[in-house]
Amino acid sequence: MADYRSRLEKDLDRWIADGLVPSTSREPILAGVAEPRRLEASAALAAVGGLLLGAAVIAFAAANWNGIPRLGRFGLILGLFLSVCGAASWAGERRPLARNVLLLVAALIYAAAIGLTGQIFDIAGNPRSALHAAGLAAILLAVAGRSCGAAIAALALLALGDWKFDFIGERGSPPWLLLGAPLGLGLGWAWRSKPLMHAASLATAVAALLSLIWLKTNAPLNLDGFGFALIFALLAGAVRHLDGRGDPVAGVAYGWWVWAALGFFAASGFGPHPPEALLHRALWLAVAGGVIALGLHDRRNVVTAAGVAAMAGAIAAILGDLGLGLMTAAAVFAVVALAALVGGFALRRPVRR
Amino acid sequence: MSRALTLRILGAAAVLASLLVALVVSENLARTRGREVRLPMEAVDPRALLTGHYVALQLTQLQAPGQPCPPGSGLAMNPSWIAFTPTATGERVTGVAADRAAAAKFGPIQMKGTARCWGAPRDPTERARVSVDIGVRRFHASQDEAEAFDKALRNRKVGEVSAWAIVSAGEDGRGRLKGVIVGDHRANLTWN
Repeated sequence: MADYRSRLEKDLDRWIADGLVPSTSREPILAGVAEPRRLEASAALAAVGGLLLGAAVIAFAAANWNGIPRLGRFGLILGLFLSVCGAASWAGERRPLARNVLLLVAALIYAAAIGLTGQIFDIAGNPRSALHAAGLAAILLAVAGRSCGAAIAALALLALGDWKFDFIGERGSPPWLLLGAPLGLGLGWAWRSKPLMHAASLATAVAALLSLIWLKTNAPLNLDGFGFALIFALLAGAVRHLDGRGDPVAGVAYGWWVWAALGFFAASGFGPHPPEALLHRALWLAVAGGVIALGLHDRRNVVTAAGVAAMAGAIAAILGDLGLGLMTAAAVFAVVALAALVGGFALRRPVRR
Repeated sequence: MSRALTLRILGAAAVLASLLVALVVSENLARTRGREVRLPMEAVDPRALLTGHYVALQLTQLQAPGQPCPPGSGLAMNPSWIAFTPTATGERVTGVAADRAAAAKFGPIQMKGTARCWGAPRDPTERARVSVDIGVRRFHASQDEAEAFDKALRNRKVGEVSAWAIVSAGEDGRGRLKGVIVGDHRANLTWN
């Protein structure tokens, strides 16, 4: 995909040829646009070399693991973790990319260190607690070194810990991602980090799903699920507003939360206490159509895709509802199609001044 | 700014490394201070017990013929307090309760975990089996040690109790592994 600068160069040449822009303005305009950052070959080679060296150390330790005393193994793990953190601090402000990647690696090494320490000293532990502890450690590293990579690792570790629900036995603690996801959103927004916003937005949806499982509300008509759908619709509306005002990262959350709202809405039509199938499917179709229109209007492909997926899902559900019958299905399709046509016609009418 | 960033990263790394060291030291202290108990291990299939370089521990006790299940040890999965009573063949489960005080009425040693009793006897010849889970599930050993355990477990007679997990019953109610005994061979957890 061509970057902004190369597209601007072509446009400028065309505008100059059409006489819209004086040729003397070409260079000053282009000078105002920064060159996209490229990873230098030497940096890429250094990163590959570092990774291979790490793999060699790990392979050497694994091959001689039993021959190394327990304290030696523990020291090896701690030493590796501290070395990577030291390298990240050395990278500091001068090499933000290296610092980010090194802190991500440090967060993962620490997660492994928790498990390996338990193994080396035969410390019995709960896998859920171990993953949560690793997640908290990754948050600390992320905040200390302003690393979106470590923050993404933290969200993944918290989600994995939360996913280790004891479905049969005691209820356990609420999902930690309920706190982790908003924190990730806050950091992503403050750091203007799109990768972290992607991870945190998705984590928000996962946190909602885990909360639904944890709460076990057993609400009539699956109102709990519809409630989450409404919350995500409202959140999507809020970040859409921010996106429209030029926020550089709000658009990321907008797409994910539209998917989440549609997902909760669709799933809530099934489950333990489903509402009237006909009403749910009709609303599902209508909402999907509305989201497609919204995505096209906002020029957000991810939103349009969510609408298309929801539309396909709704049609599949209607055809799968054996109780509805073909005539009812035809009626639902006809009503929604009519509504879409009327809506489309209304939107295309010229505005009278 | 750059110096502050460096210090923050190094500080975070030091805190995390210290926490890991503190965990090892505190667990080791608790293991040393706890009361040592021997819990019988039942090997159903020795081949499945050994994977890689650790011994999978399955803490199971066989009741005497016709002896009922220990009180409270139904098929409930909820974690509870398990009471143990010393015998000549190691500590045995003598009751399960929701809290420590209630469990203390069944036996002098109490640990947190689950105990499920299978096959309550319907006549005097049948034997119930109690599975115990106190979080101690593996003993990491060298390949030579693991193979020695495997051999000893294979050569056991059916129903013979000759394998035990050596557990430290802590004041906090947690069981911490100290070692295992299989046949005549005892392996202790050490720093080496």
